Amino acid sequence: MPIIEVENLRKDFMIAKRETGMMGALRSLVKREYTKKEAVKDISFSIEKGEIIGYIGPNGAGKSTTIKMLTGILVPSDGKVLVNGIVPYENRQKNAKNIGVVFGQRTQLWWDLPTIESFELLKEIYQVSNERYKKNMDTFTEVLGLNEFLNTPVRQLSLGQRMRADIAASLLHDPPILFLDEPTIGLDVVAKEKMRTFIKEINQDRQITVILTTHDMEDIEKLCERMVLIDHGTKMYDGEIALVKERFGKTRTLIVDLEESKQRPPLTGGEIFKEEGSRFWIKFNRDEVSASDLIAQITKTHNIKDLTVEEPEIESIISKIYQEGFQDLPDTVKV
Amino acid sequence: MHQYRMYWAFTRKAFLRSAVYRFDVWSRLGSNLIFLLMWGSIWTALYAGREEAGGVSFEAMLTYIVVSQFLSGINGAGTPLWEIQEKVRTGDIAIELMRPFNVPLRYLFADFGSVAFYIITALLPLYIVLFIFMDLTVPASWLTWVYFIAAAFNGFLIRYCIEMAFGLLSFFLVETGGIEDIFYFAMSLLSGSVIPLWFFPDWLEKIAVYLPFQGIYYIPNAIFIGEIFGGEILFSIGIQLFWVIACFFLLRFVWNRASHKVIVQGG
Amino acid sequence: MPILKYVDLYFKLVSAGIRAQFQYRFAFFMRIIGLITAYSGTAITMWVMLYRFQELGSWSFFEMLFLFAIAILSWGFCIILFFHFRSLDTYIINGTFDRFLVRPINPFFHFMAMRFDVASFGQFIFSILIFIWVSFEINIGWTFGKVLFLFASIIGGILIQGGLLVLISALAFWTTKSEQFYWVAMYPARNLTNYPLVIYPKIVQWFTAFVVPFGFVNYFPAAVILEKETPFFPAYIGYFSPLVGLVFFMIAYWIWMLGLSRYKSTGS
Repeated sequence: MPIIEVENLRKDFMIAKRETGMMGALRSLVKREYTKKEAVKDISFSIEKGEIIGYIGPNGAGKSTTIKMLTGILVPSDGKVLVNGIVPYENRQKNAKNIGVVFGQRTQLWWDLPTIESFELLKEIYQVSNERYKKNMDTFTEVLGLNEFLNTPVRQLSLGQRMRADIAASLLHDPPILFLDEPTIGLDVVAKEKMRTFIKEINQDRQITVILTTHDMEDIEKLCERMVLIDHGTKMYDGEIALVKERFGKTRTLIVDLEESKQRPPLTGGEIFKEEGSRFWIKFNRDEVSASDLIAQITKTHNIKDLTVEEPEIESIISKIYQEGFQDLPDTVKV
Repeated sequence: MHQYRMYWAFTRKAFLRSAVYRFDVWSRLGSNLIFLLMWGSIWTALYAGREEAGGVSFEAMLTYIVVSQFLSGINGAGTPLWEIQEKVRTGDIAIELMRPFNVPLRYLFADFGSVAFYIITALLPLYIVLFIFMDLTVPASWLTWVYFIAAAFNGFLIRYCIEMAFGLLSFFLVETGGIEDIFYFAMSLLSGSVIPLWFFPDWLEKIAVYLPFQGIYYIPNAIFIGEIFGGEILFSIGIQLFWVIACFFLLRFVWNRASHKVIVQGG
Repeated sequence: MPILKYVDLYFKLVSAGIRAQFQYRFAFFMRIIGLITAYSGTAITMWVMLYRFQELGSWSFFEMLFLFAIAILSWGFCIILFFHFRSLDTYIINGTFDRFLVRPINPFFHFMAMRFDVASFGQFIFSILIFIWVSFEINIGWTFGKVLFLFASIIGGILIQGGLLVLISALAFWTTKSEQFYWVAMYPARNLTNYPLVIYPKIVQWFTAFVVPFGFVNYFPAAVILEKETPFFPAYIGYFSPLVGLVFFMIAYWIWMLGLSRYKSTGS
């Protein structure tokens, strides 16, 4: 049985129209018009226990609205939501015990108090038993290195430290489901890597289901096998990340370092889009021509010193999907 | 000329911006009315049916309060003190230092815009109705009107300079809570906004006439109801002008110190 | 969660709030000074006002001070417990309110326990000094019953004004504004009650008795203790103050919860 089930979920908002100009300004004193905005139109998906899902989409796509409905903060306009067998908006407090939530940009910790006190308060709020608390704190202290700042007020923590504290705080009550909203935003490369390792670990060790919203495609690539992509409140893609790469990642780049010659090698099927000295960047479509074919062409006239073939990153694939739309998606993938 | 047009643009922008915050307009008017009700009732009860007290008729006294509330509506329609303090705290004002204009002047002109919007859409309609339906005295001579408007404008400038200078104190003090309350108290009592100076104990009146606050409410109010009249009018306006200049230099001084601090210590 | 658990949690949250506040000691003392100055300012204004007139609607300066002190005392408790409710709009707009909704406890309770503004103890010093001073100046004839009644009506006053703060914060759920409502409605209305209500038009008195029951905060109870007349109202009306407070606060709480469910259906 899936741990999260979402069926035909919809959420509409009413938005006030803004008048322009001097007269409009005076008029809006008296009357204001509203328009309906469909933040989430019709979204369905289900998540199995232990999955890590990348929930992505551009700003305003309806990501956070969906998350709010899953956490019980928002009541849907229509459709069905079940989180661990509970309807979140009907049974918010019960649902709250099943979920951990981390908002990357907003801390849930007590800003002016030493970090440890937030943990103690959360222990009370979630009624975590003493032994559970101790056991969890021991684990988190070890894995996340909390002890170096447990007595520092939260406002004095670095962003990386704060994120670590926040994620530990969200797991204190052993929730089976964890919502992570931009967990690596603003972190440096090392801190990001640490965070990802930790997320992967708790997912594997504790079978925690993770729903991850992020703009950082590296998060997705390193953590998730599956992603749900939404735009304008509709689901655009739901499936393996590898498959997206497959469909949209046809373009490869061949980088060659040539000996002595600074002349452009003649090519059919590939296109040189950048050159630096004797190094050339060649873009080609994998379906039309193979890398070895191109290499063979080049070796006819030049000696190759070194070469690499680059696959596109998920990031550029996503931006390509945003730009070109989904018409290229085969029916098996489109939902 | 170019300078003038730039400041005028701030005025226009503030006018338009006020319209977006329609709620502010209504709510401020509502609270203005409650205070009018309060002080009107208080003075009615103090006079307790008497025709006159201390040589001032009840009608004139009631007019004094109504005019005072009108002016306090105007004085409260600009950038509020806390917003200036907030801008100091967040460093927004420090950024404006780099712009090619005089910052206190820029806020003054912006205030002209929001005040104008508030007067046109809210204050004037309301107070015209009040003057029609209540027994109030209205100056008979057009010259008194001119003096009143001039005095009210001077009062606005005095208040602006003092309040702005006070707001900029946040550059030097992290927390201004206590001083702020003394300031507001002085502003409400010593300005004669709710009790005219002639009802003060003599010693307090003597203090009040040597302070700038009386220029904000007492002088324009008293001109309006004719308690300040004849040659005294020009003398009073002269005193106001003195305070406008003095307070302007105070503001400039505080501003220069503040910008110096920003430049040297980075805020 | 059982009630006892909530009581325990309340003290834990509150003591955390106090410790957080003590991180800013200078601000704390400035606030105490500020509150005392502000109230002294109003008291001085009353004195100046009555310097030439002696009485306001048959209330003398000291009687007015007494009236004022009751308001300040109950308001002091309100600031401690509920004052942060007025800034619910900020919490909603910058999204921090959601934090209260992802926790397994009553959000009203959680929000209330979030802050505990100890600086308002400054008000207690002020109002207790005034009570003592006034008792020397006019003969109140304190009895055990009167003292008990004073306490009961202060609790009533806390509930009424606290209820009003709760109501105002509930408006944020509909309009995303609350702080402003405080400053434009409750602040001036509170000022009205610094003076004996008898001076206001009948409709205003009626309004403050039965719609927004500010009259029960200080005017009616003070009239009972000082044995002043309350035209339009029976003399014993002040005794209802605690009951009015209880009912009003319950209504306010109910509306707050109603607003919360609306918030859940519309977002911000």
